[in-house]
Amino acid sequence: MPELRKDPVLGRWIIIAQERAKRPTDFVVAEAPVTGGFCPLCPGNENTTPPEVLAYGRPYGAPANSPGWQVRVVPNKYPALVIEGDLDRQGEGLYDKMNGIGAHEVVIESPRHEDIFAKMDLAHMVLVFQAFRARILDLERDPRFRYVLVFKNYGRAAGASLEHSHSQLVALPILPRMIVSELQGTLEYYNYKERCIFCDIIRQEIQQQVRVVCQNELFITITPFAPRTPFEMWILPMNHESGYHTQNDEQLAALAVIFSETLRRLDACIPGVPYNFVLHTQPLHSENMKHFHWHFEIVPKLTSIAGFEWGSGFYINPMPPEEAALYLREALVKGRQEARP
Amino acid sequence: MKKILLVDDEEGIQLLYQEEFQDEGYEVVSAFTGEEALEKFKSETPDLVILDIQMPGMNGIEVLRQMKMIAPQLPIILSTAYHEYTQDLSAWASDEFIVKSPDLQHLKEAVRKHLG
Repeated sequence: MPELRKDPVLGRWIIIAQERAKRPTDFVVAEAPVTGGFCPLCPGNENTTPPEVLAYGRPYGAPANSPGWQVRVVPNKYPALVIEGDLDRQGEGLYDKMNGIGAHEVVIESPRHEDIFAKMDLAHMVLVFQAFRARILDLERDPRFRYVLVFKNYGRAAGASLEHSHSQLVALPILPRMIVSELQGTLEYYNYKERCIFCDIIRQEIQQQVRVVCQNELFITITPFAPRTPFEMWILPMNHESGYHTQNDEQLAALAVIFSETLRRLDACIPGVPYNFVLHTQPLHSENMKHFHWHFEIVPKLTSIAGFEWGSGFYINPMPPEEAALYLREALVKGRQEARP
Repeated sequence: MKKILLVDDEEGIQLLYQEEFQDEGYEVVSAFTGEEALEKFKSETPDLVILDIQMPGMNGIEVLRQMKMIAPQLPIILSTAYHEYTQDLSAWASDEFIVKSPDLQHLKEAVRKHLG
């Protein structure tokens, strides 16, 4: 029988359609072939991007916007929101509007065109996480911005338009609805129990050991109790932290270890699966929040959103998270066994 | 005389642009598909390309990336009815991105900017 499950933070319902249950190999990933050709993100083509706002790895004294970088952040050439101007908040009767002010940046994660984020060298992945931190800290200096959304689209089906490994940041003058809902949900729980709900989730998941995918000293990956898609995963810091930007280099190194392992487990279950990851962190200009807990959400693109989902806000998921976690835990073990002669 | 390679699958656009750019003093060579565009790009050695995106077969973004592999410095103007292609990072390889309009002023200015 199908099961309705409620996300304890957002109150969002999902349907686990168990009679549709599938094995990882039943999910077909039909990615369009990559045609290749000139890449505007590759070294040597820096003149095709707007001037960089951050670059790591270039030898000391080398000019900006020249090759030699390891990670490079540039403004989006055709941004969804523009950096120059005032917000000019206005009311039009009962409707609210303002100018489309924001910052839209592209994080070029590697100079190597063929690099895949999941398989990157760990030290290099740390540079990417440091770039996220540096850009959040810099954008926080702008009083117009309330939130920095960090996300990655991997694969055409998940919205990636270019195969060169990259992620994006958008600084917004308003809090996204999703974050507002998370802040409200976590605050309600905190007011009732005087504990962070995510800390409680971590404690319970470690105790139950049914939805834990992997963990290290500082981070844990779980399949959430009410996931929107098969193999949805959350990566959370074990200790209570509300802001990603406060993480030190040691924490980011541990994050790279678990992130890499998590994505490799996913890829071992469903090779080449397209996915999105999104950072959920505290709003800009806010102090450490006792009720909120920063984390990454990784959402594989394996199901489609249609009329029922749009109308109800429910998601139908054919893979219970307990089964997904089992597959993910066994993934690399199986890979190692199969690799044996 | 500077030569423009005009790539668009719509005959009406081809006729209009040819007339307008010939009046501006340019030689115009036409291609109706991406594949034909790549052939003429090599055989006609144009000074600038005006490139549509949505075409049957190879689309303009794929053509752009192939052309820039061959001649990275040659100016290519993407000319499309669909603004949403700005979200495709491959479009960054173009020198200009122009949304098609009955008023060709922006397109003409872009061509003049690159061809002098």
